[in-house]
Amino acid sequence: MSAIQLNIPNELDKFLPDIVKRNYGKWKERKFHGPGIIEHISETGERVFTVKAALPPNARVSVDTLEKFADIADKLGVGALRITIAGNVEFITDSLDKALKIKEELEKLGFPVGGWGGALWGINTCTAFLTCQIAVIDAPSIGKALGDALKPYFTGEEKLPAKLRVFISGCPSGCAGGTAIDIAIVGMWGAPPKIREEVLPLCMPPPKALAKIPESQVFLVQVCPTGALTLRREGEKIKLVLVGEKCINCGRCKDNCDAFDYDPKDVGAAILIGGKMANTGVGPRLARVLIPWIPANPPRYEEIVAVVKKVIDVWKTHGKPGERLADFVERIGWAKFVELVGAPKMAAQYLWWPDAARTYLTYRARGEVIFKGFRDAP
Amino acid sequence: MAAPPNLPPPDKLLEMAEQYLKELEKGPWPSHVAEMRKTGYPLHVYGVGLVARKSPWGPSAVKAKRLTGVLARIARDWVPKGGEEVHFRVFHTPGRFLPTSYLRGIIKVAREYGIGLVEVVGQTGAMVINVKSKEVGDAMIEALRQVGTDVGGSGDAIRELNTCVGPALCEFALYDTLKWFTEFRKDKKIHDAIAVPGFPYKFKIKFSGCPMDCGRANRADLGFIGTWKGAPEVDQELLRKKIEAGEADPNDLVSKCAGGAISWDAEKKELKIDGSRCKKCMYCIRKAYPAIKPGKERRVAVLVGGGSKGRYGPKLGWFVGYLKPDEVQKGIELVFKVIEPWDKEAQAKVRIGDYILMTGLYQFIEKAGIQLEDTPKLVEKLPDNVPYRVLPEEERKKYAQFAEELRRAVGI
Repeated sequence: MSAIQLNIPNELDKFLPDIVKRNYGKWKERKFHGPGIIEHISETGERVFTVKAALPPNARVSVDTLEKFADIADKLGVGALRITIAGNVEFITDSLDKALKIKEELEKLGFPVGGWGGALWGINTCTAFLTCQIAVIDAPSIGKALGDALKPYFTGEEKLPAKLRVFISGCPSGCAGGTAIDIAIVGMWGAPPKIREEVLPLCMPPPKALAKIPESQVFLVQVCPTGALTLRREGEKIKLVLVGEKCINCGRCKDNCDAFDYDPKDVGAAILIGGKMANTGVGPRLARVLIPWIPANPPRYEEIVAVVKKVIDVWKTHGKPGERLADFVERIGWAKFVELVGAPKMAAQYLWWPDAARTYLTYRARGEVIFKGFRDAP
Repeated sequence: MAAPPNLPPPDKLLEMAEQYLKELEKGPWPSHVAEMRKTGYPLHVYGVGLVARKSPWGPSAVKAKRLTGVLARIARDWVPKGGEEVHFRVFHTPGRFLPTSYLRGIIKVAREYGIGLVEVVGQTGAMVINVKSKEVGDAMIEALRQVGTDVGGSGDAIRELNTCVGPALCEFALYDTLKWFTEFRKDKKIHDAIAVPGFPYKFKIKFSGCPMDCGRANRADLGFIGTWKGAPEVDQELLRKKIEAGEADPNDLVSKCAGGAISWDAEKKELKIDGSRCKKCMYCIRKAYPAIKPGKERRVAVLVGGGSKGRYGPKLGWFVGYLKPDEVQKGIELVFKVIEPWDKEAQAKVRIGDYILMTGLYQFIEKAGIQLEDTPKLVEKLPDNVPYRVLPEEERKKYAQFAEELRRAVGI
């Protein structure tokens, strides 16, 4: 095989466990056996039990632990496990006894079992300070702090009205999975970035070329969606200028050039509420800013945990059973929800619900007209 | 990035980092720090980052015989003792089922050539494996190929495809997501587009079996979501049994129906669903399966232009038409139809969703040549300032005939 020719795992037959292969597409019923254990019943009469356990934030697992998982799957399961996009691990087995034993073994290893129905389904975090160079706050440690606080909701000791998922992204790029989720925590720069002049030439065209080409052809100027970055020419001198008032902290300049820097003392997190992907209830929608900025203090992030707990409390006490956070907010209205949480009065721009543009802040870029409303056209 | 101001001296910094890390190992939730302690990951760099409240990593590069999927970072100069971090994005199996034999192969590679740390699922859907050093990169790719997988899917290329579990473990799957997923990957053109970056920005393809969208296809650049046309099927006999057994509550089904399509006849004990008002929210189906099943006329809804990163920020996809559950090839053709105008016209770092916002959905559909079932069409506005005109005789005859036909049909 040549080096460029990829060797992608494609064969379904090879990777599906036998019991799943026999009942592929023939499932007819499901039953829950306490938190974290689900039974699928097939038309053929076979039953498959799945045990779901939480993984550490960012789904970072050492090979030692993975080997233990493999041992459990060999000993008690059907020789296969499954990873979910929510960062959980699922063990597949064929009887309830074995499922209960798997649950016991996993809890002994320190991996809580739970997360179906009215519960916390998982916490997704981006890699942030573990590998990422543009992260603003550290998402995995927030995930850990939140997981510690919300564990009873995952393991079913405390019930929630409906499914809850939490995404934590270290910066507005939203690598943890965007903002279409119940509770999204997004790292915010707080203040406009500072330009490090000594690094900037690496990202710009050479000075001679720069003197000739128009501003709109410079990549860093193109990348800024609001036109906050502009080139100023004063005779021979050319300078990249950042207009602080126009900046919306989207981080696109930082994505593309290392010269943009921020001060750690301004940094915080935005908390967005009431997005979801499923077509249930009021349908899929993006989340909305509840708190534009609160401090993010490692390693326990008490402020963020407190806000999330408060939101969950409000939802738990006022929500109807089976009502997801987005449906709940839709029913009682955003203003009422903000009042119940007791969040401070928001700036007007956060109250407008944009249909397609940014959820953090709204704006219109230079010369670009966003035609809203075509989503509803025939 | 520059060193943050007021950073303590190196010894003190490392000590504080250790304290922060110890704090993160406490508590009932599984800890990533505890896991990473068992591996060769440079933990002090992460700790220093936490203390400094700034990402400790800077850009770096690695030489490997791969165009996508290879990423490297080096610690910033203000991090005492330094460190480097190289990781590879490894393709996941269909539905992310990991047979233990395959998993043990991955573990062996991660131990031999890597630092023993695996991110079992990254947010693209791929598995991420850390490599010991930049030198062993090629050896690890070779070893991974022996196991039966490969490295790829980063940069401005088609990323690792993503799917929900589909018919393998779920009764609600309305089309075979796993088959579509494997067919897409086997296609030569898509395969090449994964290996070689060449688009303005990343392009993600996702598959979801039903409108509950566990595969999060609504957020993809090109999403395929299983759905049906008309009303869900109701098995009245089975439903009556379910209601008697207390497994389903008709009043609950009526009141929670998102479109208000359900009505319950208490005398006849019959449930009626108005197909034209059904919003495909799956509530009744989830509550009373298999007495209420999705309709027989299955379709795959195609959505274009979702995503969280990009010029205009997060957005959901736009519906551009239906495919039939067996039209995989048409789906693959659609990928390149959709990419073509975007690739030709969009600036760098503009995602397809942003491009659609700039051009307008109908123009985009026209440019891409998308012609599917129920593709949205812009209804041309009629010229209302010239309401009448003189008609030729044959046209008058046509309308007279139409009126005659109508008269006969209505029976006047």
